[in-house]
Parts: sequence; C-alpha cells; structure tokens
Amino acid sequence: MNRNTSMVTLYIGLLGLVTLAFGLADILAWAGMIQSVSIGVLEIAGDDFFRWAWGGAVMVFGGLFMLGSLMSPGTMERSAKAILGAIMVWIIAGTDIFARLCESIPAGEEAPEFFNSVAGFIGGFAPPYSAAVLLLPFTLVIVYFLFNRKSDEA
Amino acid sequence: MALPVQERWDLVDAIARKTVTAGIYRQNLGDVLGDLTVRPLTGIAVAVAVLYAFWSIFSSFAGTLVTDGFMVKAFDDYWLPWLQEVWPDPASIHYFLFVGDPLAENCFEAFGMLTSGLFVSIGVVLPAVLIFYLMMTILEDSGYLPRLAVLMDTVFHRIGLHGYAIVPTILGLGCNVPAVTATRVLETRKQRFIMMTLLAIFIPCGAQLGVMLEVIPDAVGWVMLFLLFGFGIFGFVLDRIIPGSNPEILIDVPPYHWPLWKNVAKKLVNRTKSFLKDAVPFVLFGVLAVNVLYLAGVIGALADLFEPLFVTWFGVPKETVGPLIAAFLRKDLAVAQLSAIAMTPYQMITAVVLVSIYFPCVATFVVMLREGWKELAAAVAVLAATVFVYGGLIHAVGILMGVA
Repeated sequence: MNRNTSMVTLYIGLLGLVTLAFGLADILAWAGMIQSVSIGVLEIAGDDFFRWAWGGAVMVFGGLFMLGSLMSPGTMERSAKAILGAIMVWIIAGTDIFARLCESIPAGEEAPEFFNSVAGFIGGFAPPYSAAVLLLPFTLVIVYFLFNRKSDEA
Repeated sequence: MALPVQERWDLVDAIARKTVTAGIYRQNLGDVLGDLTVRPLTGIAVAVAVLYAFWSIFSSFAGTLVTDGFMVKAFDDYWLPWLQEVWPDPASIHYFLFVGDPLAENCFEAFGMLTSGLFVSIGVVLPAVLIFYLMMTILEDSGYLPRLAVLMDTVFHRIGLHGYAIVPTILGLGCNVPAVTATRVLETRKQRFIMMTLLAIFIPCGAQLGVMLEVIPDAVGWVMLFLLFGFGIFGFVLDRIIPGSNPEILIDVPPYHWPLWKNVAKKLVNRTKSFLKDAVPFVLFGVLAVNVLYLAGVIGALADLFEPLFVTWFGVPKETVGPLIAAFLRKDLAVAQLSAIAMTPYQMITAVVLVSIYFPCVATFVVMLREGWKELAAAVAVLAATVFVYGGLIHAVGILMGVA
C-alpha cells in the first residue's frame, strides 16, 4: 500500500466516522436524547421527524458506506461505496440548500411584495448550517481522490 | 421449406459472425454503483435516501415556494377580496355557490367554486403535480425505477404483487387515475384487483398530499404511517383470500444514464396536461356539487344519519360527514374542509386517514369502472369493510394511547 492510498483510506475513514456521528446526533436530537446543538456555524435543531430522524438515518447510512468502503474487496467496489456514502451526504446537503432557496425567494407572508429583496435573499443562506452542508466540501475531496487515482492508473 | 437443424445452426453462426462484434467487458464505476443499488443491504439505504430527497424537494418546491410563497398571497390578499367586492348580493345562492362564505378571510375557508376551487386546483395541486411528475420522470429515465422494482420485488410478493407494482404505487402518489391504468403492467386479474383496491384505499394522490402539507403539516407523517401499515396489512389479507396466481417476472435493468432533458420535458408536459384536463374540472365541479348538496340539506341529513357511526365508532365529530361526501368528488377538497372543523390533533389524523381510505375520488372511480365493473364492485365492497374496520382500529389505538 503506497503512501497516497493510505492517506485516502485515512481520509475516507475519518470522514465516515464524522458523518456517522453527525447522523446519530441528528437522530438523538430528534428523539430528545440530546439537547439541540448550536455551536458556531453548526446547528442540529432536531425539531422535525422528517429532517432529523429520516435525514439523520440517511447520514448514518452515508457514514456506514464510507466506513464499509474501507473493508470492501477490490478497488472498484471500494470506490463505489465511498462515492455512495458521499452521495448520501450530497442528498441531505442538497435538499437543505434547496429548502433554503425555496424559503428565500418569496418575501414572506407579512410583506406586501411577492419577491424577497436581494439582501433578504442572500441573508437566507447565512449560518448556522446543518452538518451535511458543512460536510459537503469534504465529501467532494473523495471525488477528487478517486478521479485522481483513475487518471494515475490510466 | 424448413432447413434441417444443423443447417439452421450453421446459418445462425454465419449471421452472427457477420453482425456481432465481441468485445471485452470492463466493469466501470457506474456498473458497481448500479449493482449496489439492487443489493438489499445497500439498496434499501439508497431507496430511503432517494425517497427522502423526493419528499423534501416536493414539499420545499410545492409547499414552501409556490403555494405558501406566492399562491396563498395572490389568492388571499388579492383574488378573494376582489371577488368578494365585485360579486353582487352576498346573501344570494349564486354568491354561495361561486364565492362561498362572504366573511371568509382565506380561500381555503371560503369554499366557493371560484375561490376554494381555483385555489386548490391552481394554487395547490398544480405545483404539487408538476414537481411530482418531474422527479418521477427523472427517476424513471435515469434507470433508478427498474432497480427499485427489483429491490421491492420480495416485499411486494408478500402481498401477492411483484416489483413492478412500484410503478402504479408511485404514480398513485401523483394521481390515482394514471395509476389505475398502470396496473396493466401486472400479469393476472388477481394482481390487478389487489393493486387497484390498495391504490384506491391507501395511496393518497399528489393533490391530497399537497393539501395535507398545507393544512396539517405536523400530522402528515402519522397519516402516511397509518396508510403504509394499512397497505401492508390489507394487501397481505387480500392476497390470502383472493384466488389466482402471482407469477414471477424478469426485469430488464438498464445501466444508469443521464436523462435526456427533451424526453423529460415531453413526459412532464404530457402527464401534467392530462392530469389538469382530468382534475381541474372535477375540482371546480366538485365544489359546486358539494355546495348544492349543502344548500339542499342532503349533507346535513347524512350527517345526522351517520352521527352514531362517526362519533362512537370512528371517534370524530359528526361535521366530518360533509367532507367525506366531498371526498368522493375530490379528496383534496375534503382535507381542506376538514381543516375548518374544530378537532383534537388525533381526531384530525383519524379524519384525514378516513378521507384517504374512503371511496376513491370520482375520476378514479370512472377509470376503475373502465377496467371492469365486477372488479369495481368488489373493490368497493372491500373498501367499505376496510373503512369500517381500519377506522375503528385507529380509534381504538387512540383510546389505548390516551389521545382519542
């Protein structure tokens, strides 16, 4: 195993653990077993079954896929599981961002106008963010690693 | 003139040599990803994530952006006050039929043909159906839907169906009308009957989902849970009592690919157009018909007649009889009507589940009739028994939990 491969393995393993931990935190916050979390730019509100319990389960699956990729036989299956894990995080982060976009376009019930102002629209994307959104750039690194390795092999 | 067997094979070989090029198969990342999405252990996790994305995008676009963001304001702040101002004689029958309640502050409560009728069909149903069909088409054209069919095959076999039953099931979440037609993908009469009955009873359409999301957002999860349990339990029972076979199928699973946007757009336009053609007149006519029935005193008389059943057996107020009558015309309207009745949260969940499992809407009824009157009659009999048993069961669960 060369140094490059072990670095990728370590990275995916760590990211898998963090994703799994955040997924569990989402579910536990929804179940009321831990307090809702708001640290810096991170927020786990746990106030809605669909987002935190179901979405948390998707994050847990994402983490498990990434960790499972470390134990998979063959390079292709390993890469596929790591990508699938990343896709799980993209699904949650993507839907969170889409939800913010949908909330930010209209002006709101009380305002007389239909569309939000530019400042209001941009303000809709201000922190805090969910764990999935914060993990999004880190999962993109997996894709970079895999494509990099593919081009090395070619 | 028939060739001898050996010559026939020689001919096959000759044609194959000229037309078939053999290459070396190299498994790529897409193939492995495709394989992972049909293996039960990994595939179920992917299905859970896909359904999450489906529902999240559906509610963000249809609920938050279009309906809450723009349509509610347009209809409640502009359209309704304008109609109330310009329509003559608020005490007249035509005012009641077309504009509805003169004191209503929003289109949900007005219940006139041009207020609630237009708001439900254009403001609530249209965005819901549009985004539903868009996502459904993308799943279909990307190659995920056949994989979901493979994955769900074992589950559906437990209720006498097979994996492709996922197509009418998901279509039914958009509209039961095309879903009933899609039951033709199933092989036997038994399978088609089971699917049609389960669709009519336990699958809420996109319009109904949209309205549920609007009026009882916190209870939608519970309603869906009750419907999902009902789907499984009654499917299992129907499979045991209905004679007939449940054949196996072979599913062709294409590789994953990017959908062609031209095809997606074409499918989306066709599906939405046919939905609007079927649904909008029914919504508008439905409001009108229900208002006429109210004026004629029919709904009041039925409410009195069914009061013991509703209050004692189902545990809901007798006022819910009206929405149940309306549910035959449009289930989405019925949910909207329920929102105006004072009820406890559990009564609201029970009432919405009852509206969902009660008679199919008239458009679905007509399509089911087209598939065969015997099937329709049998489905209606099953339906009546289901409403009675399941409605009572939900009430009993509520009593046991101390919430009913």
